[in-house]
Amino acid sequence: MVGKKKRGHPDVEELLSRPWCYYCERDFDDLKILISHQKAKHFKCERCGRRLNTAGGLSVHMNQVHKETLTMVDNSLPNRQGLEVEIFGMEGIPEDVSQAHNQRIIAGFYQAEAERRATTGNPGPGGNQGNQSKKLKFESPTDLKKRLAEHKARKEAEKAGTSSGGNTPMVEGVQNSPLGQSPSSFNNASPYIAPQATHGASQGAGYGSFSQEPYSQPAAAYQQPYASQPPFSGPPGAQFQPQYSPPQQYPPSQSFPPPGFQPPGQNYPGGPPSFGAGSPPPGSFNGYHGPPSNTPPAHGGLPNRPPSLPPAPGLPQRPSLGAPQVPPYQMQQLHQGPPGTSFPGQQGSWAGNSWKGQDQKPAMSSTYPHSQGYGDYSTNASSVDDLVSGAAREADDIDEIIRMAEAGIKPPKKGEVAASPVQAIEAEAKAEVTSTFVPEFAEIGDKSEPTQKKSKKDKPQKMIYSDNEMSPEEKMALMPRYAFVPDGKTETSLVDAATIPGVAGTVDA
Amino acid sequence: MLNRSQTNSSPAIQYEISEPPTDAVSALKFAPDAPTRFLVSSWDKHVYLYELAGSGEEGGKLIEKYEHRAPVLDVCFGADDNEAFTAGMDWQVKRINLESGEQTIMSAHAAPVKSVVYSKEHSLLISASWDSTLHFHDLKHPEKEPATIKLPAKPHSLSITASKLVVAMASRLVYIYELQSTLMLASQANGATTELQPWQQRESSLKFMTRAVACMPNDDGYASSSIEGRVAVEWFDPSPESQARKYAFKCHRQPDPSGDGTDIVYPVNALAFHPVHGTFASGGGDGVVALWDANAKRRIRQYQKYPTSVAALCFSNDGKYLAVGVCPGFENDQEDYSGEGVTKIYIRELGETEAKGKGPK
Repeated sequence: MVGKKKRGHPDVEELLSRPWCYYCERDFDDLKILISHQKAKHFKCERCGRRLNTAGGLSVHMNQVHKETLTMVDNSLPNRQGLEVEIFGMEGIPEDVSQAHNQRIIAGFYQAEAERRATTGNPGPGGNQGNQSKKLKFESPTDLKKRLAEHKARKEAEKAGTSSGGNTPMVEGVQNSPLGQSPSSFNNASPYIAPQATHGASQGAGYGSFSQEPYSQPAAAYQQPYASQPPFSGPPGAQFQPQYSPPQQYPPSQSFPPPGFQPPGQNYPGGPPSFGAGSPPPGSFNGYHGPPSNTPPAHGGLPNRPPSLPPAPGLPQRPSLGAPQVPPYQMQQLHQGPPGTSFPGQQGSWAGNSWKGQDQKPAMSSTYPHSQGYGDYSTNASSVDDLVSGAAREADDIDEIIRMAEAGIKPPKKGEVAASPVQAIEAEAKAEVTSTFVPEFAEIGDKSEPTQKKSKKDKPQKMIYSDNEMSPEEKMALMPRYAFVPDGKTETSLVDAATIPGVAGTVDA
Repeated sequence: MLNRSQTNSSPAIQYEISEPPTDAVSALKFAPDAPTRFLVSSWDKHVYLYELAGSGEEGGKLIEKYEHRAPVLDVCFGADDNEAFTAGMDWQVKRINLESGEQTIMSAHAAPVKSVVYSKEHSLLISASWDSTLHFHDLKHPEKEPATIKLPAKPHSLSITASKLVVAMASRLVYIYELQSTLMLASQANGATTELQPWQQRESSLKFMTRAVACMPNDDGYASSSIEGRVAVEWFDPSPESQARKYAFKCHRQPDPSGDGTDIVYPVNALAFHPVHGTFASGGGDGVVALWDANAKRRIRQYQKYPTSVAALCFSNDGKYLAVGVCPGFENDQEDYSGEGVTKIYIRELGETEAKGKGPK
C-alpha cells in the first residue's frame, strides 16, 4: 500500500512548483503574486513610488527620471542584490541558483516531514519501512518450515563441528549500539544490504532501519528463529524479539548458530538488563517504531534516496556570481532594445524599416543619453514617467536624419544638413531664419506637400491636426462664417493679415 | 458671489451648464475672487458670464452675455470680478464692465487678437495679436497709450505668473518676459513700438506647433502643449540644474480603431494649473481631460471622455471647480467648421484631494 497524500502537507512536487522570488527566496501561491511582490518590494522606485517590472527597468527609470543610479536591488538577500541578473517573476533565475533553491526546498521538505513523523509517531507516507512491514510480515508456513529445516540441519552440522557459544553475547552488546544509532554504519553494512532485505521483511514493521544493518548474516535461517518464533523471546514478549535481533550483528563468519540460538538461557535470563547495554531499554521500544527518535531526523527520511538527496544544508548556496556575467548595459540592451549608442549605425536603414513612433523616439533619444527605456515607454502609458521623453531641447541630428529619411532623402552627413534640398527650399521660404532653426524647418519641410503623403504612409501615428504652420484658430478665422471685415478695410486685406502672420515674423527679425 | 464654505469634502460631481455658447469656445476663465463666477468667450461673437449654483449643487446660470462685432478669441478677468478684457477677431482689445455691460476699446492691433492676459500685481494688460505684436497697457495710467513689442512670429498662447509672461509663438518660439521690465516699458513708451529683449528666448521643447502654454502658480515654470499630443514641462530658472529637469510626455493619443498599429494623435488644446495644488490639467482633441503632477511626473487621473474636443480649461481660484469647454476640434483639411449646438460647458466640482498630487512615495 502506497502511502496516501497527507492533507495539509504539500508534497515535494507542489513545493517545488511554487513560484519564488530570486531576490528574497520567498515563495508564493501564484506567479502573479510573485510578480506583484517583486514590483512592490524590489522594483519600486524609492523616489516616486513607481513600480517597475524589472531591476533593469527600475535602473533605467531612476537614471532617466531621477538622474540617479541604481546600485542594488532593495530588500534583497545580500548576495542577490546585483543588477546583472534580469529577473521577472520566475524568469531569469540562473540555473545554479534555481537548483540550490530546489535543494533547499527538498531538504526542508524532508526535514519537516521527519519532524512531523517524530511528533505524530506516524510512519511516513510511502516510506520503505511501511511497505516492508505490510508486505512481508508473514512468511508462508512452507517457507517457515523449510527454513526451520535448514536451520536445524545447520545446527546439526555445527554440533558436529565446533561450538563457540559463549562469546557471542558479549560481542553482541558492544556492536549493537553503534550500528543501531549511527547513520554512518549504513555504509559499513552495505555489503550485506541484499540479504538484509529479506531479513527486514521478516521483522516487525518498526524495525526496518534497525534490523537492516545488524544482520550481516547471509544465512536467513539464523535470523528466522528469532523473528518467527515468539516463544523464544520469552518474557519480554514479541517486542523483544526484534530488539534482540539487532545484537546478532556478528560478522557472518562467526559461528552464529549455537550462540545466538542455543543458549537462550544466557541471553534471555539476563535479557532485559543486558540488552540495556547494547540496545535501548524496553521503555524506548516505541521509539523504535518511530525511527526518528533514534536517528537524526534527516536520516529518518533520507536513507532511501541518498543519491538524489544530498545532506540537508542549512541554507542553499547562493552564489552571487551565479548569473552569466553580462554587464548591465548589455543586459539592458538585451531586454530593452538597442542602446542609444547604436543609433548612428542604424540610421541608414531606418527609412525602410518598420520604424514606429519615429516622431516620439527621436524626441526621446535626443534628450536622453540612453534609449534603453523604450521598452517601458511603450508598455506603460499611464503615467508621465513612461511618457517622459525629456525635453527636446534642440532638434538633434538623428531626429533630423530620420525625418529626412522618411521624406525619401538620403541621410546626409551632419555637416551637410543645411545643404539638403528640402532645407534649401525651406530656407528660401524662411529667409530670415537663423541657422539654429534650420533643422527644425527641415522637419516642417517633411510635412510640406510634396513629401507629406509618403511620410504619412510610413507614419505610425496620425495627427488629427498636423498643420505646423497655421493654428486651427487661424484657419477658422479665414472661414466666412467667422471672418471679420474691419471698417475701412477690404476683405482681401483681412485675408492678408490672417495668412501672412506666418511670415510676419520674418519681416523684422 | 456665493462663497460658501465647504464643510465636508463633497464627492466629485460634474454637470453641464445650461445655455452654453452657440458656437465653439475659445476661452474660459474663472473670476479672481468668487470661485463660482466665470467667463466664456466664444466664436459666436459673445462673451458669456456664468454663475455656479455653489458647492454641492448642480447647475449654473447665465448671468449675462456681451456681444462683440466678431468672434472673441480670448477673455480674462481684470482687477476684480466685474472687469473683463476680451481679445477679438475684430483686432480689438476691449474692456467690459460686467455689471453695466459697458465696453471700452483698449487697443487696436493690425490683425485679430489671439490672447489677452491681465496681471493684477502690475495692473498690466497684455494682448497678443497675429500681427505679431504684444500690447502692454499700464492700467494705473490708463490715459497712456499701450506700448507695443514686436514678436518674431505669431503668438499662439500667453500665460502669466506674478512676475513673468510667457509667449508661445509660431515656429516653436517661446519668449519669457519679466513683467517688471515690461511694465517699465509700458509706462515709458507711451504708445511707441519698441524692441524689448525678452528675459529668456527659448525654443519649444516640443517639435510641433505650440498649442497652449500655462504657468505654474508658484512662478517656477510652465507647461506647454503642441498639436502633436504632447506636453512639455520646464522651469524658468536658467541654471543647468533646473533646465535638466525639463521633460515632455505624450498624451491625448489613441490607437487607431482600425487596429493597424497607428496612433491617432490629438492636439492638446488646453492647459490649466490648479491654483492650490500646483498640478495641472490638459485637455485634448480626443475629448479627454487629464490631471498631471508636474513634479512627480505622474498622471493623477484622467476623466471620462467628453463628447467632442476639449477647447478650454480653467480651475476656479480656490481650486474647487474645473470648467471644461467642449466643442468640435478643428481637424485636418476641414472645409467648414461649426460648433453650433455641440458646444458645451461642463463644470466638475473636485473632491478635496482630487487634483492633489500623490507626491513621491
